[in-house]
Amino acid sequence: MYLSYLANAGGIAAELSLYEKWISSAKVILTGFAVVFAVLFLLIGIIKIYSTIVQAVQNKNNVRKNVRNQKKEKIAQPDDSLKKPSIIPARKSDANEPVVSDGIDEEIVAVIAAAVAATYGSKGKARIKSIKKSGGRSAWANAGILDNTRPF
Amino acid sequence: MEIFEGFLKAITGIFKESGIATLNWQNYVMIAISIVLLYLAIKKQYEPLLLLPIAFGMLLVNLYPAIMNPPSVQLLTADQCAAQHVEIAGHAKRVIDGVTYYENPTYGGLLYYLYQGVKLGIYPPLIFLGIGCMTDFGPLIANPKSLILGAAAQIGIFVTFTGAIFLGFSEPEAGAIGIIGGADGPTAIYVTTKLAPHLLGSIAIAAYSYMALVPIIQPPIMKALTTKKERMVVMEQLRPVSKLEKIMFPIIVVILIAILLPDAAPLVGMLMLGNLFKESGVVDRIAKAAQNELMNIITIFLGTTVGATASGQNFLSLSTIKIIVLGLIAFSMGTAFGVLFGKLMYKFTGGKVNPLIGSAGVSAVPMAARVSQKVGQQENPGNFLLMHAMGPNVAGVIGSAVAAGVLLNVVGH
Repeated sequence: MYLSYLANAGGIAAELSLYEKWISSAKVILTGFAVVFAVLFLLIGIIKIYSTIVQAVQNKNNVRKNVRNQKKEKIAQPDDSLKKPSIIPARKSDANEPVVSDGIDEEIVAVIAAAVAATYGSKGKARIKSIKKSGGRSAWANAGILDNTRPF
Repeated sequence: MEIFEGFLKAITGIFKESGIATLNWQNYVMIAISIVLLYLAIKKQYEPLLLLPIAFGMLLVNLYPAIMNPPSVQLLTADQCAAQHVEIAGHAKRVIDGVTYYENPTYGGLLYYLYQGVKLGIYPPLIFLGIGCMTDFGPLIANPKSLILGAAAQIGIFVTFTGAIFLGFSEPEAGAIGIIGGADGPTAIYVTTKLAPHLLGSIAIAAYSYMALVPIIQPPIMKALTTKKERMVVMEQLRPVSKLEKIMFPIIVVILIAILLPDAAPLVGMLMLGNLFKESGVVDRIAKAAQNELMNIITIFLGTTVGATASGQNFLSLSTIKIIVLGLIAFSMGTAFGVLFGKLMYKFTGGKVNPLIGSAGVSAVPMAARVSQKVGQQENPGNFLLMHAMGPNVAGVIGSAVAAGVLLNVVGH
């Protein structure tokens, strides 16, 4: 090692020659630039790759869900749609239509859609894919949590 | 008469051990500085969560230096043991110049023991655990290019290293000073304890002071380096990030960084563990404990003991003034390089990126992102840059941890 330091903490560093100072600075700047940028660029690549994969898989799953829902609808009301085509037009299924879980009123869906539209504007690419109730725990889960936290 | 003599002796003994007889002028100067810092923390609310315990630790150690004393062994003769009511039995003997001494172990000061968490590099990663629980990497995942800005803002660290070397600091000391430019308190403390523990007080105080002064230091640099047109850019809305992406992020980052740069693993590992606690959604209790109780306790210990390293004899030196100046340079350079890379991105994307978000790459979460938002809104009140600036901001945390790993590897070994 061409550089020497004082071993004792709190001491003044041994004076480096001008040449050693240049070498030391160049070494750290070059390594720092190269490593920090390399690691973060690698991270950018990895994030992009896995994001693309995850989004593709999730989109596929959403399409499958939509198809399944459409099939269920058709099975549930095959005759009605045939009998009254002039009064209730057969719903044209749309892949962009949000998947809404049971028990949520259409009015609530409309309010959520309006809020999203107000936030993102009409030019935004925002799209509601699904609306479902969240946060509710089953009675068994609640009982388990109560049991675990009772001593505290 | 005997009573009066005893009284006088007791009073003399108390006076001899009091601060009036034992403290020197440096201690009094530091007491004054600590009171100013307490004022800034309480009245001006400059990073009070850390500045208040730091200032009080500084006050305590300068009033009673023994509070940071390490444990030692006292050599006592048999007579001294008897006078001090020390049991001889069981104590090791040592004979020096024909006189037998008994080794009487003494305990260290309170803050000495609490300081071990800093010295051994335990507290900063635990603080990172809490930070991880509170950090949303969503904006970064939605726009991974903001990592470039997080990397660019670290350039100040390495440039300041050069300045420190030419001002006469050794390589490890220069590395510890440069890390102030990362604008990340725990990282600065972690690196300094490993590279130059004797500079801890000055570096920690410089780092936290500049972080508190982000809203004052950054805007002039941001405005000087950008045009009005650039500052007015309204960025596109970020895409929503799925839960799965957010869960995968900490796992992927820790694998990548710990393999490539093991020295950064303690900091990045804890940051990502905290984030996984949050994003997984299955350990709410642990996540809450890490970001509240644990982090608060560690902040008390860290702040107080870091402040206690700033005793008059250590702190009042030319080195401290150099560190304060170099720290400001590091911070300003980090901001400038972030903005300059933001300008590059503005050019390459055809004006879609607002360069103001580049300054947030210096970490100082979330203050630096708020500054980007504020400066952007001064030009265009309808512009909301906060979420866009959060990307480089959290990227800066990862970037400064990586830069810390580089410094520890290059100058620490």
